[in-house]
Amino acid sequence: MLTHLVFWGLAVVAVLAGVAVFVVNSMARASYSLALSFIAVGLQVLLLQQLYVGVLVILMMVMEMAIMAVYMNMFMGMNPAMMSMNMVHGARHALPVSVGVFLLLAAGALFAPWPSRRGSPPEDVTVALGTELMGPKMLTMGVVGVVMAATIVSGVVLAAHRTRYDRFGDDLRRRRVADPQPGGVGR
Amino acid sequence: MAEVPAAVSGGWAPVAAGLLGTLAVAAALFDGALAERAAGARLGTGRPVGEVARLLRQRRRTTVAADRLLWRIGGAGLLGMALMIVTVVPLGRWTLFDLAVGVVWVNALDVLAWAFVWLTGWGANSAYTMVGGYRFLAHGLAYELPLMFALVAPAVAASSLRVGEVAAAQQGLWFVVWMPVAFVVYCLGVVAIAVWGPFSPALGRDLAGGVTAELSGVDRLLFLAGRYALLAAGAAFAVPMFLGGGAGPLLPAWAWVLVKATVLLAVLVWLRRRVPALRPDVFMEVGWLVLLPAVLLQDLLVAVIVIGG
Amino acid sequence: MGVSGALARLALRHAHLLVIEVPGNWLTRVAVERLAGARGWRLAVSPADADILAVCGSPGPELSLVVASLWEQLPGPRARIDVAAPELVAAALDQAEAVLRDTPRQRRDSAARDGRGPDDASDDDIALAHGSEDRDGLEMDVLHVRLGPVLPDWPAGLVLRAHLHGDLVAKAHAGVVDAGHGPAGGAHVVGGGPSGEVGPADAAELAAQRCDNAARLLALAGWRDAAQRARVVRDRLLAGERSAATTELARLRRRVRRSRLLRWSLRRVGPLPPDELARLGLAPELTGDVWDRLNGMLSRAALTVGGPAGVAVGPVGVEAGAPAGVPVGVPATPPAAVASVVSGWDLATARLIVASLDIAALGVVTDG
Repeated sequence: MLTHLVFWGLAVVAVLAGVAVFVVNSMARASYSLALSFIAVGLQVLLLQQLYVGVLVILMMVMEMAIMAVYMNMFMGMNPAMMSMNMVHGARHALPVSVGVFLLLAAGALFAPWPSRRGSPPEDVTVALGTELMGPKMLTMGVVGVVMAATIVSGVVLAAHRTRYDRFGDDLRRRRVADPQPGGVGR
Repeated sequence: MAEVPAAVSGGWAPVAAGLLGTLAVAAALFDGALAERAAGARLGTGRPVGEVARLLRQRRRTTVAADRLLWRIGGAGLLGMALMIVTVVPLGRWTLFDLAVGVVWVNALDVLAWAFVWLTGWGANSAYTMVGGYRFLAHGLAYELPLMFALVAPAVAASSLRVGEVAAAQQGLWFVVWMPVAFVVYCLGVVAIAVWGPFSPALGRDLAGGVTAELSGVDRLLFLAGRYALLAAGAAFAVPMFLGGGAGPLLPAWAWVLVKATVLLAVLVWLRRRVPALRPDVFMEVGWLVLLPAVLLQDLLVAVIVIGG
Repeated sequence: MGVSGALARLALRHAHLLVIEVPGNWLTRVAVERLAGARGWRLAVSPADADILAVCGSPGPELSLVVASLWEQLPGPRARIDVAAPELVAAALDQAEAVLRDTPRQRRDSAARDGRGPDDASDDDIALAHGSEDRDGLEMDVLHVRLGPVLPDWPAGLVLRAHLHGDLVAKAHAGVVDAGHGPAGGAHVVGGGPSGEVGPADAAELAAQRCDNAARLLALAGWRDAAQRARVVRDRLLAGERSAATTELARLRRRVRRSRLLRWSLRRVGPLPPDELARLGLAPELTGDVWDRLNGMLSRAALTVGGPAGVAVGPVGVEAGAPAGVPVGVPATPPAAVASVVSGWDLATARLIVASLDIAALGVVTDG
């Protein structure tokens, strides 16, 4: 009973914090409202006994929101003095559409004919969930993860303004790199 | 295999908090004594007492157009983080929260430091505190990944993410002995999360106190207490992860946990005055080009030994 | 009264002071630092951290405004002292202690401040920052930040108006606070004997100032123990304990030279080749990076105090731009040069570079 109450309480927190993202008036508050929403969802996942996934949701989302807040503040020149930022664009069309989509998805979740439980949950629900989701494609998914990380790194390298020719000279023979500020490993 | 600690009732939580508080106060007293000795002033250990009295007597203040909500959340958050970390640290036979993924739990909590320190810096709406907040994130980019992979090594060796089982898995040989790189990187991470010693440029003198530049009174007290508590919680978590948990002769297991945590904490406190700051601009390359590969090699080595042995 | 009285007594054992040095009053500032340390008091790094505002010397009109606004930022309980000379420091600190101890008076002060605070400032006219390209070619917001005249471990009177990209100093304009007003009455300038010669006492003072500057650099580098030792050497030199100071200084120099971590952190920061030094009007012994300059500072201190009396330290004046009023034996640093050498570095390294210039006095130049 208590678990049910906590679960529904967290659900309300998650939705309200999600709404707050569009109501508050600064990027920092929006980012951390979203983080709060995700933390509530992570705790709900914990209540579903998916401990690893739940804790991981909290870990990843807090870190992502911390980084997002920084980027948003850097690019938009926000400081706390500018508290009147509007988080909604084109509200006249966007609001009905998003409310409609929310109702549609919620209705789907509520009215879907969920199967009733047969047997008992396995010993290790995280392993069971992973096998169920990916099955024999586990190795492929593992490789895809590494490829995605490599893609991000290469994307950043390609996007960087300064190239190795700026740093090591046109013949790449310079022993001491020409950086505006020296790094820590003495290259 | 030694016995795995059992969870006790939540009613013991105040005791855990009290123990953490005692460790943090001890750290503050030791730090105060070291400061007095370095200053050549009369030997006194009462500095933290006086500082607390001073901050309790001081008025709180605010700045023009501060985001007070986020600012105060950030300032008080570090203390909350430390309290949540010690819930999964077993004290001999007992633990407060026997979570099957305790190691990941601590990892998720240490990431909160990113949010809290940055918010304290940003919320004050002052250039120095904001630069301090960004400095902490720059450090975070360099220490967080090595720290995560350092926590992987003991978990792989014990084949478990349950902190009690990790402690029980090192009855023969402490993990610190055969995974020293992971231990050193972990300690660096703890020092960095507590914005301590070599990782204190975010609170630097050059920024008039950085993140703390605009804090006064009880707000400053909470932030500083949070730093000591995080250092203490980090030292306490190192005991089951690397230092054999409650293993040791003569004394009962819970006493060994406290002794080991105190010793490591004392070393971390002592380090503060002896080592120059690792500025983010120089530490960034070290984190990515030295620490990360080193700790990944450590993980590989541990994995090979575990599979082979 | 019992609880608040006990709290006040405990709190006063570790009061924090924000020390403001009016240019030319460095001996007073050092005396405040030394006597406050002996009482177990600490130096504050920002007004929010301070209980006592200690003004060393009599500030000119511009600095007076800064002091007034800092006074408003002290959280309270608070006390302000104005110290005109080193021998008046002890009495002034006693006075500050009495003011802080007087709880009813602090209550009145606190009540008088209620209702008018920084919150009242209107916050609807804060403009959006404008942007420009940073050193990597990214469009970044530009923040205009005034560094100084009151910052921990910062040369007295220096003001850098910096254009910041994040924490990167894109460019800076330098000035000296109250530039038109000259040294205030009764100000003491290092090595300022009437004959222009450097006598033994002056030699100790010059060496002490080098140690003071080295202590600042070490403190900014985050090495607390070494900074504290440099301050001890400085105080010994000023107290006339020459042999003890020489031994301590030798030990400090060895420790600094052997610290690989410090060397690693300061190497290649702010390199200045000789031709650039000449162009900027800086002393030729500042050649090299911050690490070289730190060791140079300490060896100049050792040379001055160890060498025969009358040895002049460093270059005597600078070829161009040495202002009147700065005596022989003290190279004056042109503020424009300070602004020029920090451009393109981030705030942390810029602070290290400024501290490494071993500034004794600032030339009077309005802008860089």
